[in-house]
Amino acid sequence: MNTDTSIIDIDSDFMRSPEKVMRLERMGSSFPTRLSFMRTLIRRMSRENWKFERTRREVDKDGYGLSVYSVTTPHRTYSLVGFTQEIPAEMRTDRVIAEVWDATFNLFDGVPTQEDIDYLAQNTPKQEAGRYRPSELALARANKSLRVFKNAVDSLSKGHQPDIDLLTSVGYLMRTSAVYGSGKFGCADRAKIADREECKAPFQMELLTVYLIRWFTIDSVEELAKEKGGKKAVKLDKTTRQFIGVGNATGLGMAPFLLKHPALIHNWVVAKETALARVRSIETALPGTLEVFLKSLHQVSQHVDEWNVEDEVQSERISRLTDEIQALSMWCENELNISRPYPWNGIYHYVEDNFSLECQEMVVSLIIEPHGTLVDDLAETMSTELIPKFNAEMSLVQLKEVVEGFYQWATTIDFSLEESQHHFWYYSEDKLEPRFGSKGVDDGVEQEMPLAIGRDVSDLNKVLMETSDDISISEFVMNYPEFRHIIRRIQNTFVRPYSEVQDNLLSQSMRPLDLLRFKLAFFGASKFDPKSDLWTRISMYQGAPMPDQLSEPNHDCWSFPIAGRSQSYPCINCTCQKTA
Amino acid sequence: MSKNGLTISLNEVLFYFTRAGFGVNVPIGVSEDFARGNIWIAQNGFDPSDCSILALDNLDSQKSSLSIQFEKSKDGGHLFCSEDKVLSAIQASVSCVDWLEFNGLDGGELKVTHVDCPLLVVSVLGANQCRGIKVTWTDRSKNQYQVNLNDDTSWEIIASSEDPILHSNYADVIISSLDSSNKTSISNGHLKKFNITEEKLKTLNNGVNVGDKWPEIYEYFSRCLVKSSAESRASGAGAGLVDND
Repeated sequence: MNTDTSIIDIDSDFMRSPEKVMRLERMGSSFPTRLSFMRTLIRRMSRENWKFERTRREVDKDGYGLSVYSVTTPHRTYSLVGFTQEIPAEMRTDRVIAEVWDATFNLFDGVPTQEDIDYLAQNTPKQEAGRYRPSELALARANKSLRVFKNAVDSLSKGHQPDIDLLTSVGYLMRTSAVYGSGKFGCADRAKIADREECKAPFQMELLTVYLIRWFTIDSVEELAKEKGGKKAVKLDKTTRQFIGVGNATGLGMAPFLLKHPALIHNWVVAKETALARVRSIETALPGTLEVFLKSLHQVSQHVDEWNVEDEVQSERISRLTDEIQALSMWCENELNISRPYPWNGIYHYVEDNFSLECQEMVVSLIIEPHGTLVDDLAETMSTELIPKFNAEMSLVQLKEVVEGFYQWATTIDFSLEESQHHFWYYSEDKLEPRFGSKGVDDGVEQEMPLAIGRDVSDLNKVLMETSDDISISEFVMNYPEFRHIIRRIQNTFVRPYSEVQDNLLSQSMRPLDLLRFKLAFFGASKFDPKSDLWTRISMYQGAPMPDQLSEPNHDCWSFPIAGRSQSYPCINCTCQKTA
Repeated sequence: MSKNGLTISLNEVLFYFTRAGFGVNVPIGVSEDFARGNIWIAQNGFDPSDCSILALDNLDSQKSSLSIQFEKSKDGGHLFCSEDKVLSAIQASVSCVDWLEFNGLDGGELKVTHVDCPLLVVSVLGANQCRGIKVTWTDRSKNQYQVNLNDDTSWEIIASSEDPILHSNYADVIISSLDSSNKTSISNGHLKKFNITEEKLKTLNNGVNVGDKWPEIYEYFSRCLVKSSAESRASGAGAGLVDND
């Protein structure tokens, strides 16, 4: 399938419309699916039998020093080069403006020489202040979750497993606070690796970096426990290892990316929505799939029980979700409700009519899950290398029609109201930290990032309405060059209807958190733990197989993990059983 | 990022040059094309900062202008500055691409009068896959240049002198169709050929070297940054959290 022109029938009864899907409130209720990028990567690792190896560990008794972990794919080797150091507690922050970290990493393209290691030792610990080369595919850092890390080391050194309640409450040993790729700070450009099979899906090298960091964190606590406890020390048991994810703290940096890559976002959403539509269009449930779904409801309610956050809004949403999952389980117990034709469509409609967006989106994920053979091919359609072009051949009449037909969500917003233009986005001189300012409060309106899509369309529309149809679009932009960017955007997005967030991103009520969760769910993140409207913590790879488990049955069925269980609900109708 | 002699990525070229243009009040949509043109320059082994600094300086000092006008004639078209100033190549380049896309050449030519950085015009044409055309000019040092954008795989420079094309400036530029009968108009010219794929691969594997003009580009870029204050730091994402948990 062509990745830029996925054929969809938007008028299909089973396809949700862009107007429904691309709204902040729904986007901010997203959950990972089996098409999420971490899932795609794990499937490839298993399918291609990737080999993992710790090739260097040169650390002191406290674990400070150098580690190198390598992974060999059918065609090449990638190496995670990590540096650990002691840092003062008062300097440990997850913000972009941090200057020191417990651990810093690069993903190296190949096997690094000693010269490479020496170069990275001088740069990687400095993160944004260092410089990197095309041989470095990603740059990342992580800080310890001090309580969990210490408990794990202490417990294992004494011969017993860590406190599972503590571990469950956090979910990880270390938390990444940035993972950069695609040419950042001199790293390799995306174009260098875009043609490699293992890099074609989005963010695969960044997520490989995170997967290796997860392994590094687990390896580190086991090694430190051995150092401390000697013969008494034990390793983490298999179920606990698999349950441990790697954390991430994420702020505003993700939001501009989402808005600057509309064609990419369209492909992500079309893939997910097509998967949902395919499942909803099944007239008779495939054997065993309904049973798996019912079991997954039981598992997911336990997963949600373990999803505890301090944020009041999210806490209420989780509480309601718990009740709704229970109500759905009861509704499903009545066979009449699920044994009708188009059972998945029936379930979807029941949930949509009765439950919250949070529940709706979770059920979307759950009903897609048992249909791997039906939907997994869509993962290959989620990239794009498209560079949007300005189309001077489009007539002004066409442009006016497109704005009227596809951008009503923007042209109907009253931007003369103060609350409609309350916010603006800007880069701070503090390490280019993206910030979300308030007009009249914060400086920097003049340096606003060009992310005000709705407002710019609205402004363009006003000028278009007063402009004669006789002039060409190239003449129009000579007279009004300030609209070139938004015209180019419109020209490239109206044929990709899932590319725009159909809400006012400057509004007083806008929560960047919704954009973050939407993107993180596509990555495959779980346990969203908002710390404000601008910032969230998450877990990644929680429940995912460790490198030595990739060839085991059910390696692909790890969504919505629960503590103390090595494996999620029985795998069905996907390909991962076949490797058993 | 403010040091000399750096190697940067193509993504950084896009990031910094878009905002450097914005720093001298180039509308963002035009600035995006300017940055894409600089990627094309970088992909072909040139230092984009060396190529673009004059155009940015000229706009900053108001020696050049983005105001552009267009006339159609029986021989083709004419783009010129509507003020009594040098025409900025940053604007001229996008208008050339638009003109070619909308009108084509159809045996005629497009003349661009008194533009400050001709190679920037070429770069944006190249970045927009304009093929089968030649771009010719004689600069104020009387050096003649012809750039042939042949096809998807190659392009070439024919120059009357060995002066770097990056530093050729202030000229009337003529864009016309490339055909076998007039492929070379400069006698005894120095020919340099470029294989687009090979040059791009080299850049992806080695990065883009930027020289002593880079700090000035960065200076223009940094105008898009907002000064930080205790208040803005305190309201940033993640502020106020204790991360020693």
